[in-house]
This record gives sequence, C-alpha cells and structure tokens, in this order.
Amino acid sequence: MKPTSPIRLMAHLVAGFPDYETGLLIADSLVKGGAHFLEVQFAFTDPSADGPAIQTANALVLSKGFTTARAFEFVAAIHERHPDIPVFVMTYASLVYTPQVKHFVAEAKAAGVAGLIIPDLPFDHDEGLTEACKANGMVNIPVVVPSMSEERLAQIIEMKFPYLYTALRAGITGQKTVIDQNTLDFIRRVSEGGAKVLGGFGIGSGEQSKTLAPHVYSVIAGSAFINIVHELFDETHLEESRKKIAQAIEAKARELSGG
Amino acid sequence: MSENGYFGVFGGKYVPEVLRRPIDELEKGFYEAIQDPSFLEELKTLQDNFIGRPTPLLFAKNATADLGGAKIYIKMEGLANTGAHKINNAIGQALLVKRMGKTRVIAETGAGQHGVATAAACAHLGIPCEIYMGEVDVRRQQPNVATMEMYGAKVIPVRSGSKTLKDAINEAMRDWASHPDTTHYLIGSALGPAPFPDMVRIFQSVIGREVKEQAAAKNLDIAALVACVGGGSNAIGFFEPYLEATAPRLIGAEAGGIGTGYGENAARMTGNAAREGIVHGYKSRFLLTEDGQMAETRSISAGLDYPGINPQFADLGVSGRVEFMAIPDKEVLEALQYFARKEGVFFALESAHAAAAALRIVKEIPKDKAIIINMSGRGDKDIFITSPVFRNRQWKEFLKSELTRLESGADIYHAKN
Repeated sequence: MKPTSPIRLMAHLVAGFPDYETGLLIADSLVKGGAHFLEVQFAFTDPSADGPAIQTANALVLSKGFTTARAFEFVAAIHERHPDIPVFVMTYASLVYTPQVKHFVAEAKAAGVAGLIIPDLPFDHDEGLTEACKANGMVNIPVVVPSMSEERLAQIIEMKFPYLYTALRAGITGQKTVIDQNTLDFIRRVSEGGAKVLGGFGIGSGEQSKTLAPHVYSVIAGSAFINIVHELFDETHLEESRKKIAQAIEAKARELSGG
Repeated sequence: MSENGYFGVFGGKYVPEVLRRPIDELEKGFYEAIQDPSFLEELKTLQDNFIGRPTPLLFAKNATADLGGAKIYIKMEGLANTGAHKINNAIGQALLVKRMGKTRVIAETGAGQHGVATAAACAHLGIPCEIYMGEVDVRRQQPNVATMEMYGAKVIPVRSGSKTLKDAINEAMRDWASHPDTTHYLIGSALGPAPFPDMVRIFQSVIGREVKEQAAAKNLDIAALVACVGGGSNAIGFFEPYLEATAPRLIGAEAGGIGTGYGENAARMTGNAAREGIVHGYKSRFLLTEDGQMAETRSISAGLDYPGINPQFADLGVSGRVEFMAIPDKEVLEALQYFARKEGVFFALESAHAAAAALRIVKEIPKDKAIIINMSGRGDKDIFITSPVFRNRQWKEFLKSELTRLESGADIYHAKN
C-alpha cells in the first residue's frame, strides 16, 4: 500500500537493531506511521560519521554477531512485507569494498534494495559504485553538505544523480539542526540539476519536519527513532517493550510525516 | 611522493563530503608552506631548539661485540623532546595550523606519544588542544596522560568500540566533521586521507636525512635500516631518503602480539589476516573480517595496536622494497632488556619491535656492514607495563603502599616501607 501522509518521510533504522525481530517490527511501525522510504543502516565497527545514538546501535548489533548476509536477509524481509516502500541501504565503504563493490551491489539488488548511501565513497572516489548501481537498476545516492566547495557542488550537480542526500549542517548524526535561510538557499542550489533532495541530519520534531518539507523531496530522520529504541528496549520484558517501541515509533513517524 | 594522493592503488581521499573541504584546504596550505623559506626556517629553528635535533646516531659497541655480526647503530629519536619522533610531525603541523589561521587542534593518540608531542607543540605555539585517547590506552599509558595534562591539553577518554587507537581516530574524525572551520585534526601517524600520508612523511623525513649525513660522516656501509611500523610514521620518515634506491634493506617490524590467530596481533603485511580495504579515509591493507568489519588487534605496545597501515607502506610491501616481520610480545621484551643492559638504552615497547627484528638478522650480516635501528621512542612511559613483567612482586607492593599512603593523606616521608 502506498503511503498517504502529507510529508514524504525517509525513516532510518539499523538492520537487526535492537534485535532481528524487533527491528522488523520497527520497520512495520515506521511504515504504519507514514514513512515513504526506509533507510536501513548496516552496522560497522567504526561508524565515524555517526553520533553516540547510532554508534551504540551499531555496536550492539555487531556484539550479537550480525553479518552482512543477515542484514540483507533483514532488508529482503522488509521488502517482502512492504513492496511499495523503497528501501535504501546506508553503510560505510569498508562493508561495500571488502566483498567487492560489484558483489555487494548484486546482493543488494537481490534483496530488493532501491539504492545505496555510502558517505565515505564520495562521487570522485566511488570505486565504481555509481556504475554498478546503474547496471543493476539501482541508484547511488551521494551526500552533499553546505560547506562543500562551489567547484565540487557544481561537479556533483552536473553528474545528474537522481537523488542527493543533503546533510543540512556539518557534524555527525544526532546533533540539533537549525533550518535557516542559508539552509534553504543551499537546498535550492542542490536541486538545480533536477536531483530529488533528501534532506536531514538532526530532524527530530514535527515542527522541524514541517518547516523543511516544502523545500525538499523527502525529509530524513534517524537518531530520533534510534533514541526511542534505546529508551524503551528491555530484554527482560521483551514482549511488553516491543509493544511500547512499536507504538512510540509509529507515533514519531506520524509526527514527522504530518499524518 | 604520492600521485594525486595515491601510492600505487593505495591512499586516496575516502572521506565523507563534510571533511573534503578541510582536507583540500589543508593540502593547499601544506604545499604552500613547505615552499616558503620563512616557514622552513621557522621549522628549522624549532627543530634545533625545541626538539633538540639532530638526535645522535649511537654505535652499540657492546651489543655488536656480543653478537658478532654487523655493526649495530641506534638512531636515538627517543632523545627528542617529549621522548619520541612524534614531535617532528606535531611541531610541523602545529606551525601550519598557526599559518592557516585555525584556532584549535585535536589529535588522536595510542601510546600517548603523539598526544604528548601534540600537547607540547601546542603549548609552545599557544594553541588550545584536545586529545582523544582510547580508554584502554588511557589505562596502559597513564604516565603520558599525566604529561599531556601537564602541558595543558585536555585528554578525552574514548569509550566506544575497542577503546583503542582506532576508536580515538573515529572520535577525532567526528569532532573534525563538527568543527571543520576552526579546528585542525593533527594526525600523528602517516595514515588517513591525502594529504596526511605525504605530510607526515615529509615532516618525519628529518630522521632519515640526518641518518644519511651521520652515516656518511662515520663512513658506514649500511646493510639495513630497521624500524617499527604501527601506522608507520617513524619508519616512513627514517626510510625516506632510501625509498627510491634499491639498497639498503628496509625492514618494518609489526606487532606480532601473542600469536598468529584472529585478534592476537596487529600484523598487516605478514600472515594471512590482512586484506585490502578502505577505512579511516584511505585505502590500504587492514585487519578486516570477510564482511569488512575492523578486526580486533593485540599488542603489548599501544602504539602498534592499530588494524591499518600507511598506504605508502602497503604499496612498498607489495612491491617488495620494504620487508616486514611480525615480532611477538615476548621477543619484544627480550630485546628491550637486552639493549637496556648492554647499552644503557631503554627502548619504548614500540621501538623495541625494531630492536628485536635487528637481533633476528644481525648475525647474517657481515661485520664490515652496519645495521641501523630507529629507536623511535624511549621507554620511560612504559613503566606500568614493563614493571609488572620484570619486577612483579616489588611493583605490586609499591602500588599498594602508595595507594595506602595517598588514601591516608600521609606525607611521602612518613609512608610505611
């Protein structure tokens, strides 16, 4: 079923966090709450672009022996449950490069992934990622930031990527973001080549989401959901905590998608 | 020198977009600075007066006589101010920070030697600095933490991941990504995205240039240079003048840890555990799992306890110009004790890997040739690691009585024992 909420929300979750089953339940709740896209992060030992909330989630998942193969199973399960919701995979270069880019992209394709977001494979150091995605009918979604040089920004706009993941400020995930005129000017500039702008970094409230929504194709939110899980997950009262998490995630997604 | 940031297939700038601009600006600023005679002159003055260069090239006559092989020489980098070669790079980059108008320095440290060097360099040049250090390393290198704080630096223990050097690097990268305009990330190892590997090598190459002059003055016929390789900063600077030549042999000693199994060492260039990967902004050889997760590492020396290696060394290892040996912890301690007793030279645990590698090959080399060990650091900082090994009972008693005294508030003259 296609989502009908007024704000296109791209909701982030970590594959297998806090455990495999609860993770799938979170994906369901995000979709129920009105998410249009899911961004599934594959855990990495050294998530150097993430703040404490997502770092801790990464570490927890890996401590349970989570593998890339299992993460693809997780994504495939989501895709099967929500075939109308495009799923994007976000992770770090090491997980894509080590098994070979082509191989990772083929696995992603097989799991039903729509695109990849790999912040440390920038467009001029992408190890063939963009090509491999194209060859598989998927998209590579590069990250752009307001501080990038005009020269690089012009280059990336020129390359006509279908989507650009637009971090609205410097820093890492999970810190607070203020949306001001400079932010809006940057978003306008980024979309000049026709790319759909996925905008986020620090979006946690319905108010922020509403302010941003008219200017972007989709609003991204991540740490806001992860924090809910950190707060409510309780392995000693598993069923009860799963129920609470599902409710809270759905409510947060609804708040952020204006539904 | 790299080509566009690459050494063969290794190197590059695999960084999130937010770090690209500060890296590009740094690259431009660095190459301008090293072409500017006034910058080089200022650096030279600091090298002479603040670091105490040149460091001596010592003939280890007792060890040479004892072993009966090549003449052993020791490049005494450990005599540099702050006790290790790290200051060569720290003062160079700190001077660059001033020139580029940044107002804050952050750094990572493993053994703490780079942290100490950065703290001292920043104190000397009047720049505020914060040092990220894994919690495990904070514990095993406590004397260096005290020293950094004495220089006025703020030491931030890193509790994420394996709580060692790699996690300190992650945390420093996060900080830099949050403050790219005001802050310079003063990387201490010859790794990370371009231009760091070139920059660190160039600042450290003062070691190799001095060795070349000193060896010529002593008429040495050098058969081999031996250095320890964690990230690779001392080794690449020491080898620098000889990289393009085919002689002498260049030998890098890696951390063999407690065994050859998974998580038991930090050997990137020997053994089967390492593979080509992209982590921390550069492509090199790393200890990675099949999925590309960073593997655990193990070494008695915090400074070598890192899963990656300088990308130029990855290339030089593949081409065969540099040979690598993995030295187990036990052999490291033996070499440390050997040179302390024979020569009155106390190696840092990191540098003792090089000493041990030299001991392995010295007898194969004829007497008229020389082998030079880079003592990249001295061992004072390791007292909390070496004391429990060499004088366990006395050390325990000392710590217990010292704790009792501190808790009772007694003056040191009135403590028991």
